[in-house]
Amino acid sequence: MSATRTASMSPLICWSCRERALGPHFCSNCGKIQQLPRDVDYFAFFGLPRKLWIEGAELEKKFLQLSWQLHPDNFVHATEREKDLSLERSSQLNDAYRTLREPVSRVEYLLAIEGARKEGEQKQQAPPELLEEVFGLNESLDELREAKAGGGDLSALKTRLEAAENNFQEKLAEVDEQLQGIAREWDAALDNNVENVARNKLMARMNDLLNRRSYIRNLVRNVAAELTG
Amino acid sequence: MRRIVGIDLGTTNSLVAYFDPQTGAAKCIPGPYGETLCPSVVSLDPDGSIIVGEPARRRLHTQPERTIYSVKRLMGRGPADVQNELRLFPFRIDSASQNVIRVKLGSKLFTPPEISAFILRELKIWAEAYFAEPVDRAVVTVPAYFNDAQRQATKDAGRIAGLEVLRLVNEPTAAALAYGLHEKRRGKVAVYDLGGGTFDISILKLVSTSEGDIYQVLSTNGDTHLGGDDIDNLLQALFHEKILQQHQVDFSPRAELAQELRTALIRVKHELSEKDAAALRFPLPNGAMFVHEFTRGALEALICPIVDRTMGPVKQALADAQLKPGDLDEVVLVGGATRTPLVRRTVQEYFNRPPHTELNPDEVVALGAAVQADILERGVKNMLLLDVTPLSLGIETYGGAVAKIIPRNSTIPASAQELYTTGVDNQTGIDIHVLQGEREMARDCRSLARFTLKVPPAPAGLPRIEVKFLIDANGILQVSARDVRTSEQHSLEVQPSYGLSDSEVERMLEESIEYAEQDFAERQLTEARTEAEAILSATAKALSAEQVAGLALEEKRRIDAAVATLKEAAAGDDYKLIRSRIDALNQATTHLAEVVMNSALSAALEGRKVAEV
Repeated sequence: MSATRTASMSPLICWSCRERALGPHFCSNCGKIQQLPRDVDYFAFFGLPRKLWIEGAELEKKFLQLSWQLHPDNFVHATEREKDLSLERSSQLNDAYRTLREPVSRVEYLLAIEGARKEGEQKQQAPPELLEEVFGLNESLDELREAKAGGGDLSALKTRLEAAENNFQEKLAEVDEQLQGIAREWDAALDNNVENVARNKLMARMNDLLNRRSYIRNLVRNVAAELTG
Repeated sequence: MRRIVGIDLGTTNSLVAYFDPQTGAAKCIPGPYGETLCPSVVSLDPDGSIIVGEPARRRLHTQPERTIYSVKRLMGRGPADVQNELRLFPFRIDSASQNVIRVKLGSKLFTPPEISAFILRELKIWAEAYFAEPVDRAVVTVPAYFNDAQRQATKDAGRIAGLEVLRLVNEPTAAALAYGLHEKRRGKVAVYDLGGGTFDISILKLVSTSEGDIYQVLSTNGDTHLGGDDIDNLLQALFHEKILQQHQVDFSPRAELAQELRTALIRVKHELSEKDAAALRFPLPNGAMFVHEFTRGALEALICPIVDRTMGPVKQALADAQLKPGDLDEVVLVGGATRTPLVRRTVQEYFNRPPHTELNPDEVVALGAAVQADILERGVKNMLLLDVTPLSLGIETYGGAVAKIIPRNSTIPASAQELYTTGVDNQTGIDIHVLQGEREMARDCRSLARFTLKVPPAPAGLPRIEVKFLIDANGILQVSARDVRTSEQHSLEVQPSYGLSDSEVERMLEESIEYAEQDFAERQLTEARTEAEAILSATAKALSAEQVAGLALEEKRRIDAAVATLKEAAAGDDYKLIRSRIDALNQATTHLAEVVMNSALSAALEGRKVAEV
């Protein structure tokens, strides 16, 4: 599958008027809402190429425009078939917007539809360069739990953990920045029509970053939960 | 085209409203007593008829064991969920109930959707009387934080009441619609809705586009068991204890007294929203008078923990919308409990701006429902509502953990697909457990449904079945499955964890029609009797008039006979018989009426002549 391809959104024949339907969501001939072909991805739904830079305001504008047309409120008096199609289309619209709106879930989704997202065993493993810090953090967390159970003094431990939390928050920001860098490379690669090998390499790097990100995020979440709990 | 009405099915009061396209405004429909508020109280009369609203509310004191209030708190819940709640309620639930609560009124059992249906049907009758035409479609509001089962129960109630519920709208969103129409607001709005039994906070973004206004909900949060009721429960428990200690009078076995005390306390609570001090004077059965002087300060100290409980959801909703309190352009207060000065102060301090209270907090939700009804009736012309699901949808995975597949605050409709396959050869079923909630473990989330995907025997890993979870525009889950290899739709039977099956709803619908027919017959009978009384007294008056002294004996005898048979019929309860005898008496008195009329007329003419002379 070519990454630059924008999937054709419309089925060839309209279910209602049996004419060729050319519009992206509605039949160009009779105006009826159309069924989505199975292979339409979220990028194609918005008529976008599979690029990672998306202008937020522009996407929101398209989302609101399509909401006007596809929302079930518009189909209260329509046939059952059209009601079903509206429900299907508007839920896909919302799913697509929810996914593409956030840069990270956008990357995750791109890798998923390109078949390049691999969580695998790496999910639970600490990235090697973080091992030492993670070890220290886990120790502090154990101490905090013990101190909580034993009624010991928590303030020093909490300060240490808060510092560690900040440290990992910074690392998270770093990962996000790196992810953005590769995303720009990816878009350039699409523009220049580079070969698959190079693109696959970029996707592998993004996949690693996503795994690293989800690992750090879990850490931060656990620390935050211990600190507030 | 028949009208679509908007209904606020509240914990304490319910209302019905409609949108008048001519004035461009929504309006609440008054009931037979001229009030727009219908108390959400239902009573089963010893004669088997159902009484709803104000007359039922008065029975809380006289027949508490046959009367139920705040039934909304029981909607979509299981018997185990409500044990704590029931301690302060005079009504009992059937101990044999399993996944559906059955409430005992007198000796009969009703589910919460059936009881809510009685309230909906009353409002339907109000609307039908107002328009003088049938009403069978409605938009009904629910707390934004209602889960799937609570929403489904509300929809079932509509069906049982003979109303097609075209849409469930979240209460704070409805309020925002009403306010938007009223004031043409823009920007980011927080709606703080503290009602009788539920609390919601919703953050909305109001956008003007070239097509029209979009009301986009960014986030919502709440507590479906937090409201004015909790304040009343607290006061009631406190004063039971005080009276027990000071006067050795125990209210717990005396449902009537407990209800009277509750009503008296509510009155004091309301007074303290207006004044700084108020007194409770309550006569005890031993002849003594229990007196307690309240100050607003003392009441606020008592209810402060309840008001504080609303702030957790407020902070979470703001965090989810990625906003700070200062980012909001408007704050709107909804729900009767927001009349409490402490609530107003708390909200004002947190958002650092005075909240809007221009619209009647009791009516604003119903008015918004009517606006949404108009949108549905005429199509999305210049207003669009985009709401969200309040709770994350998840499925149980290995070890009882939950995998979130649709996060909370996703715009609805929303969907997620999961691909399932088998783990061992010739496995014939895959068990799926759907849950709602934010916690990590299945046992801490709300179970929505369990079902088994049936799979034809095949080597492990070969079957591929895609299950689609879809939350519709009402916030209600729909599940469908598809065989990926054949693309064929896979049949699926989903048993809800709490709530009624389709066939149960169907049966209740039939029963409710029986009730409706009974009620209809009763109404007819009352009306026929009233009319009979009117014509009987008019006839008696006419016969006693001087002018008819010369009435033929034959005619007089015919009239007397018709009067006698009508009196006999009016003593019975066949309204059709009464009607036919009214007609007979009408016929027998046609000449008499003319005579009376003519003599009255000539008297009037003579009078004028005299005056003219």
